Amino acid sequence: MGKAIVITSGKGGVGKTTTTANLGTALALLGKKVCLVDLDIGLRNLDVILGLDNRIIYNIVDVAEGRARLQQALIKDKRFNDKLFLIAAAQNTDKSSLRPDQAKAIVDQLKEEFDYVLLDCPAGIEQGFMNAVAGADEAIVVTNPEIASVRDADRVVGLLEQQDLDRAPMLVINRIRRHMVNDGQMMDVDEVTRQLSIQLIGIIFDDDQVISSSNEGQPIVLDENNIAGKGYRNIARRLEGETVPLLNIKVEENQGFFSKMFSWFKRS
Amino acid sequence: MQAVTLKGHKEGFEIILDSRVNFAEITSELEKLLKELRMNNANQKQTAFDIATGMRLLTAEEKKEIEKIVSRFEGFSIHRITADVIRTDVALDLMNQRSTHRVGRVVRNGQVVTIKGDVLFFGSVHQGGILQATGNIYVLGEVQGIVHAGYEDNTRAVIVGDLNTAQQVRIGDVVTIVADRPADEPLDKVVYVSDLHNLESTDVHTLMTLRPKLFVKAGGF
Repeated sequence: MGKAIVITSGKGGVGKTTTTANLGTALALLGKKVCLVDLDIGLRNLDVILGLDNRIIYNIVDVAEGRARLQQALIKDKRFNDKLFLIAAAQNTDKSSLRPDQAKAIVDQLKEEFDYVLLDCPAGIEQGFMNAVAGADEAIVVTNPEIASVRDADRVVGLLEQQDLDRAPMLVINRIRRHMVNDGQMMDVDEVTRQLSIQLIGIIFDDDQVISSSNEGQPIVLDENNIAGKGYRNIARRLEGETVPLLNIKVEENQGFFSKMFSWFKRS
Repeated sequence: MQAVTLKGHKEGFEIILDSRVNFAEITSELEKLLKELRMNNANQKQTAFDIATGMRLLTAEEKKEIEKIVSRFEGFSIHRITADVIRTDVALDLMNQRSTHRVGRVVRNGQVVTIKGDVLFFGSVHQGGILQATGNIYVLGEVQGIVHAGYEDNTRAVIVGDLNTAQQVRIGDVVTIVADRPADEPLDKVVYVSDLHNLESTDVHTLMTLRPKLFVKAGGF
């Protein structure tokens, strides 16, 4: 029996879908069986980031309404031999076409087969959020180090605490611009964590490559040298119970180059 | 066993309804009693009765029925109806209103925590969160959001603690926006509503003279 983790943020555009795709891929790389569920009904895009958009036949609303069996809606990512699957969201309908109890039933069924079921939550705290949280055992809250995003994250943590989750929500701080933090122009990790007062499970540095690789349908974790990808891999390891230190925020540009060289060295 | 008993006091007449007798019997007995009273002194002046129900709590309909019976007799009226018992939810409410509750939770953005009675607050109120109490609020934790004492209309309530990091401080229907206050006039430890209906602050030592009732133990325990 696996566990279901909802990935949410409240505010849109902070990187929920990117986090879901990359964390799922990282867990699959660790040998775990993972199913990603896109619950952003009407505005699906998890499939695009994974490069699976042209393989969708049935979606989650088809399953909920009995037009397809769950097995038929599972889309296999061929890159990770039977480790990573996706259930896509419907596109030609909206959030209200799925009820929380239907979502929960599907997630419960998936948990029997997979080690991890990652639920990609839509922005907002309405029906779509309720659907995503209904089946979840744990929650990851994604935020950016900026005030609007942190404020919404705080709201969402409050709502999550009212749900009957197995553990307190965990925090991922995404899109950290290191030079801005070092200049004192951006909220730092400690400040965000203190404001939200929940457990920090990972930090992701902002990197241009995240966008370019997403455009190609290649999650950034597949790039072993990328600093953002490394952040996601670290989160996956922490979810598996390993103790992994946080990436160093103080690293300057040229030192980043050295650590890149070091990682090549480690690989060989 | 007598279902209805009439007693005379210095203040007037009291009718005691025996709580062990069923209500139908009580109404008929009451009517009989009032009839006898009327016969004995036909042209008596106005009489108001205290009605004591003992261990029985009358419902609204039962009260109405009793009132109807009494009103049939000209000159007779009901002064008040009392019972020795109250409902448990009313009792609980009373208890809550009169006690100080310890609260240690985090009040997050968008959350509203409402408490009946006084609050001793150890947690933190995040920006966008509201902590409101019908009574006084004593803040030992951190407030970055809104605290509201005397919710909704008790302007005698006070808030004690460091409130300069709060967004708003409210007492009853009076609100102050902390950021709008002049920088050289930070809020002192005790915030209250003055006789001029302004929100003002003062130091802790003044609280004793400002709200002496806070320090009085009522009753004989």
